[in-house]
Amino acid sequence: MKKLAIGLYAAITVALMVWGFYQAIYVAPDEQTMHEVQRIFYYHVPSAMVAFLFFAISLAGSIGFLAFRRNRQEWAQAADAWALAGAEVGVVFCTVVLITGPLWGRRAWGIWWTWDARLTTTLVLWLIYVSYLLLRRFAAGPQVQTLAAVLGIFGALDVPIVYMSNRWWRTQHPAPVFGGDADSGIKDPAMLHAFGWNVLAWLAWGFLILVLRYHVERQHQKFAAQEAQEALNAVN
Amino acid sequence: MDQRAILDHQFTVAAYAITWAIQLGYLAWLGFKWRAQKRDASRSANSSR
Repeated sequence: MKKLAIGLYAAITVALMVWGFYQAIYVAPDEQTMHEVQRIFYYHVPSAMVAFLFFAISLAGSIGFLAFRRNRQEWAQAADAWALAGAEVGVVFCTVVLITGPLWGRRAWGIWWTWDARLTTTLVLWLIYVSYLLLRRFAAGPQVQTLAAVLGIFGALDVPIVYMSNRWWRTQHPAPVFGGDADSGIKDPAMLHAFGWNVLAWLAWGFLILVLRYHVERQHQKFAAQEAQEALNAVN
Repeated sequence: MDQRAILDHQFTVAAYAITWAIQLGYLAWLGFKWRAQKRDASRSANSSR
């Protein structure tokens, strides 16, 4: 039953991805000033939204780990697995954002990169979470999970700064798609539909790999605990 | 098709292709990691018997 549900979810996700691609490439009209290159937006913006959401999940997991680590070990380990999964999948989506953005910028602005507030804060966000993953990969000892949780919480503080950067400062980055001025945002309904389908598709895809990453980490935790117990038994 | 439109098309294709390469590459890495962990766990279970 569980396998059937996972298979069904994966099939729906693939269908959404195909439909989102079709909407973005064949249904949405050409934008008047940027023409075809504007279609990068249908992958760039949803990837940023999913990255922000997963960094928020990482934040919740990090707080959960710090809250439960002394009295509820099992809950703390599960929270830690969510923190790691959220950070890692968030970095994957943030990498997509940092590559598709300059590809668009090269055609729209004539440059690959500028040290504008939105771009710089996004790069800093990516660097913080890459350092989080490096910490977890290479550091050893009983404090690694605690240190990672603290770094995860500080890293998440950058998310609202990235989000607000093109509201707080004058930036070269385009105006906010949602919650901006009256003349910003998507006006064409066909473009809005294409955008909406792609947000849905990337959310579905993101949750699929997030849950998979969570299970891989839980399996790793159980295996590590089992090995530690066996080592302890061998000593005794 | 003028030069500008050709370049626009190439950049759009590159953005979509790179996005999918990253996502599918990560999924493949995750799959390998999962399989390796399962193999290690079963090896460990067999050796402890």
